[in-house]
Amino acid sequence: MSTMTAGPAESTLAAADFDALSGEVTEPETIAGARAAAWERFNALPWPTKKSEEWRYTDLAKVGFEALTPVVPAPATAEALSADVREVLGRSGERAGVVVLREGRVAHLELEPEVARSGVVLSSIRDAADRHPEVLKRALLEAQPGPAEEKLWSLHLALLGGGYFLYVPRGVEMPAPIHAFHIVERAGTLSSAHSFVYAESGARAAVIDEFLSDDLEAETVSLHGATITGEGGAGIEYVALQRFGRGVKRFSTQHVTAGRDSSVVTFNVALGGDLSRADVTSRLDGPGSDSEMLALWFGDSNQHFDHHTLQHHAAPHAHSDLLFKGALTDAGSSVFRGLIRVDKGAQLTDAYQTNRNLLLSESSHASALPNLEIEADDVRCSHGATIGQVEDGQLFYLMSRGLTRRQAERLLVFGFFDEVLGRLPMEGVRARVREAIEEKIGL
Amino acid sequence: MSEPLLSVRGLRAKVDGEDGEILRGVDLDVQRGEVHALMGPNGSGKSTLAKVIAGHPAYEVTAGEILFEGEDVLELEPDERSRAGIFLAFQYPAEIPGVSIANFLRTAVNSRLAEGEEMDVFGFQRTLTEKMEMLKMDPGFAARYVNDGFSGGEKKRNEILQMAVLRPALGVLDETDSGLDIDALKIVASGVNRLSEADEALGVLLITHYKRILNYIRPDRVHVMMAGRIAESGGASLADKLEAEGYDWLHRAVAAV
Repeated sequence: MSTMTAGPAESTLAAADFDALSGEVTEPETIAGARAAAWERFNALPWPTKKSEEWRYTDLAKVGFEALTPVVPAPATAEALSADVREVLGRSGERAGVVVLREGRVAHLELEPEVARSGVVLSSIRDAADRHPEVLKRALLEAQPGPAEEKLWSLHLALLGGGYFLYVPRGVEMPAPIHAFHIVERAGTLSSAHSFVYAESGARAAVIDEFLSDDLEAETVSLHGATITGEGGAGIEYVALQRFGRGVKRFSTQHVTAGRDSSVVTFNVALGGDLSRADVTSRLDGPGSDSEMLALWFGDSNQHFDHHTLQHHAAPHAHSDLLFKGALTDAGSSVFRGLIRVDKGAQLTDAYQTNRNLLLSESSHASALPNLEIEADDVRCSHGATIGQVEDGQLFYLMSRGLTRRQAERLLVFGFFDEVLGRLPMEGVRARVREAIEEKIGL
Repeated sequence: MSEPLLSVRGLRAKVDGEDGEILRGVDLDVQRGEVHALMGPNGSGKSTLAKVIAGHPAYEVTAGEILFEGEDVLELEPDERSRAGIFLAFQYPAEIPGVSIANFLRTAVNSRLAEGEEMDVFGFQRTLTEKMEMLKMDPGFAARYVNDGFSGGEKKRNEILQMAVLRPALGVLDETDSGLDIDALKIVASGVNRLSEADEALGVLLITHYKRILNYIRPDRVHVMMAGRIAESGGASLADKLEAEGYDWLHRAVAAV
């Protein structure tokens, strides 16, 4: 395992000063400036408390941010990959490229030559700041997070290190996804990674972000941000597959901007970690845009999963459809809080929001809070949420074929999830997600 | 005679939490290799008996015993009974959206393996294909969700497919013939007969309202259930008598007891 530059990395967040955090790293002015500003903002902002609606069910006061060692953003390094990482790389199927990130820093990056020739750019964010500063600024550095996200978003930007940058030029269709492995190896750290996905008009992009770690002894926090932008007529498929080990607390903020007639699918899968929070915003920015927001989670022991969503219809004639399903056992808990917001000018909006929960144990707990905020008068919107248990009739049927109660319950969870899995367009991506879920559910 | 495959002794049962017994002292023996037909009017307790044998949690056994291969199974969970060799073909099979037949049956076959034993995936696939052919099922059937949107006939065929793959020692077929047209009935019946031929020790308890299926599956014994008891037992000719005369004569006989 490699270690970071000594010195600044040893201090805790509470004691950190930004200059020390930056260390001896030289970085493009765009990034350095944005990071410094974000650090200042982070320090000026109070932590959100349980009094705010957005953080009512996930208490940030219980996360020991101050004691964590922030990981100094470092430039991409070509590193020999450990056997473990190689094994993981070998497991997944067809893809257009691979990124390996360690604590957010790009350690390995490859793009199929054919895909590179078509004009697709895959690089670290740091390198992109040199070559594509305008798009990076517009889509990432100047992004406006919601008030409830701002504290963590500022911290994320302040630690912005490697992260990756995927740019698909006009009309280019990626034949297979980029597979990014976000690996956290060092217990007790606070690190951050960013996924930057940009598809020009008529382009098609696909990405799987897979988050991995061993079970870690000390509390460890992994921040993640994603900015996903589709210009007119673009198509994007984005999957975040969270498979951290125990000990990890994870906060992901994802911003989708869908341009005219573009179509963006986001799919969040939460399986690992102690706490996993995702704030997913889809901004329907152009008329005719389409956003499909999907998620699945399966929580056991005392895992806590928290999903906040915003379907923001800023343009008329746009369509968004959200389907989030979660299953919990043991003392697992989950929160879904979703909002469809329709601006005044966004007539003929078509927006749906559904959250379904399956509880397998007495001590599991799910909260579901779907919401609408509509200022236009000619729209079709619906929202709904259910919390239920497996049906006795189904359970008996499966058990009468020899499945133990546990096997029967798990198979029913799998069936419950299938509707969401089936909505992932790329078969290869679907297979990967299915495999990860099977491994967690353990049939 | 050797120990019966299934021996029901003085069985009394009711719906859990309710008064009033549905089974009021059932006695029934099924030997290995025998086909028994269980007939009787609606509400006589036939289906309840089937579900109690399979261990349905909605019923409470208040007296008596069910011995399977000489072992009392009343304390066993439904899955344990299944793995021991009892199979219930449901009258109303549950729909399981999102779970394919192949995945479901693979899990069921897996549940029968000893710890550390690896499943023969290709062997399983071969068996499944072969059994589907036997039941004249389309090859795409295995990829469909279990009973989801199936016609009545497809559901019943799917029950027999599961029996064929899981190869139980005892098949309890609860009104597997109801709702089938004559072609589907012949396919299902021939499927059951093929299973009997392939496994000479297979015991079958065939629950039915109608004699029709008994034209295709020849029973060794016929029993008539009335008001929670076996009111009459006989050979195959008993079914003919019921067909000709209905259940009235039995009602009178039971009332006279």
